[in-house]
Amino acid sequence: MNRRHSVIIIGSGLAGLAAADLLCRHGLDVLIIDDNVHTGGQLLRKQPNTVSVRRRFEPDRLKHRGFQLAERLATRKVRFLKGTQVLGIYPDNTLLLAQPPGDVGEHQADILILATGARERYLPFKGWTLPGVMSTGAAQILMKSSGILPGANTLIGGNGPLMFVLAAEILANRGAVQAVLDQSSLSTKLRFFNAGPAVWPKLFEGAICLLRMAAARVPVKQRVRIVEARGSEGLETVVAARVDAHGRIVQGTEQIWAADTLAVGYGFAPNIELAQQAGCAVAHAADKGGWYVDVSPTMATSVTHIYAAGETTGIAGAGKSFVEGRIAAWDILHRQGRIDRKRYAERIRPLMHQWRQQVRYGRFLNRLCRLAPDCYTDIPDETMICRCEEITLGDIRKQLNNGFVTMNSLKKSTRCGMGYCQGRTCGPILADIISAVTKQLPAAAGCPSARSPVKPVCLRTLAKMPSESDHNHED
Amino acid sequence: MADRADLRIASVSRGEKITIVVNGRACSAFQGETVHAALLAAGYRVLRNTTKTGQPRGIFCGMGICYDCLVTIDGIPNQRACMTLVRDRMEIRINE
Repeated sequence: MNRRHSVIIIGSGLAGLAAADLLCRHGLDVLIIDDNVHTGGQLLRKQPNTVSVRRRFEPDRLKHRGFQLAERLATRKVRFLKGTQVLGIYPDNTLLLAQPPGDVGEHQADILILATGARERYLPFKGWTLPGVMSTGAAQILMKSSGILPGANTLIGGNGPLMFVLAAEILANRGAVQAVLDQSSLSTKLRFFNAGPAVWPKLFEGAICLLRMAAARVPVKQRVRIVEARGSEGLETVVAARVDAHGRIVQGTEQIWAADTLAVGYGFAPNIELAQQAGCAVAHAADKGGWYVDVSPTMATSVTHIYAAGETTGIAGAGKSFVEGRIAAWDILHRQGRIDRKRYAERIRPLMHQWRQQVRYGRFLNRLCRLAPDCYTDIPDETMICRCEEITLGDIRKQLNNGFVTMNSLKKSTRCGMGYCQGRTCGPILADIISAVTKQLPAAAGCPSARSPVKPVCLRTLAKMPSESDHNHED
Repeated sequence: MADRADLRIASVSRGEKITIVVNGRACSAFQGETVHAALLAAGYRVLRNTTKTGQPRGIFCGMGICYDCLVTIDGIPNQRACMTLVRDRMEIRINE
């Protein structure tokens, strides 16, 4: 197959699809790569052929647009490599890919767009590793992708609006929601009304979610935090307690819920590992969800010929992802001489306006999911923090006391982040813990280094690397 | 394996019904489902035990990031169940 392209887009979520659509329309040769077996990222989770969820009233306009994009692209001359992982980015935009079934290959492009999206954040509690405890995203994906309910009577906890979206979706699928235990307060949510015009469609969707929940009489508790998950081979009961304005547990307010399924969500973190490995500059901002890829107003990273678009440049939802995909594409078309300066300016101006609105909405979204530094004090020592390497909070606190207060030094002294997930799950948690202990901004602790392979790969797969390839890489 | 409610959403139109084999036992699944979803629907939620302390693990992130849902598929170990679609006669080994 052809291994050289004008543009390679990594990630087929809304940002990747929006960019691809525009680039294709102007005749550019585009390849889209995604780790998933289907396109659409986390929002769409669309299975084109087999499992199809009957569309009820879909209040999410962006999802509708996303489905249209995916369908349109399927008919164009866009190449998709699905179920394919990018292990690393090398000079001249050469990508090392692990492709099914277990092959390694290289592809090269003039320009790269990193649209690697986001992942969920967590606030650990004792027992959170038990089967039956899953992320809100995992619960959604089970339903969206495979048409399976996460549980018979799902308990939902955490903070952030995704909890309510999940509750409504479970109910729409005739499942049961035991309760929504929201750690944040009502007053935090009311600030949403000040989040600018981009929030209004979201408020509409939110109202529909709440109506569905009210009709099903789902209890919603504010300022209640998940304290413990108990069970032997799987989840059996959940302990939750009230928290004060600082997120600290109020003693004596513990309640026990019988549950075999608990879905928890605490906001999102940008996936920046590939961008870091490629040498792109990253920065930290709490109101962007943590560490993010730092880009120019036209989505250019600090590395020539590499763009980044979507949640990877800051958490703000699908609206920003779509707009950023478009901005990156227009910039590429302009620089390639496919459109003139006048047309470029006409196209970019309204997009920049929309972008500012989406970013403003994103700031409120991230503030809603913010966790007070104090709330880490309540987590007992025996709680697992690095799930992959089985490192507890006690282990971490010991090394913090020994003076290992940067992400990299803590990683080396505890092994946190050295497991399969390569720090994707524990990284944002560690950053918060260090910040709470040192009382410094998370940026001071640094971002953990990312090296190739950015996803785990078998030796068996690497052994199949073509022998004519010359790999002289410093990593 | 507990006696669980049917988690398959009734209103979803599914692909062809197929058979997957879980620890030697035949279960039904449908084309288009992921391995982790089919296993959950079949009542299996402990997918593996951790190497250091032997803790049970199952579905966690559901999107291929956390590597908790690792199972052996057709003899190949450490496959992410949430990122793999079921195939007819697929042999899955879990919790070993």
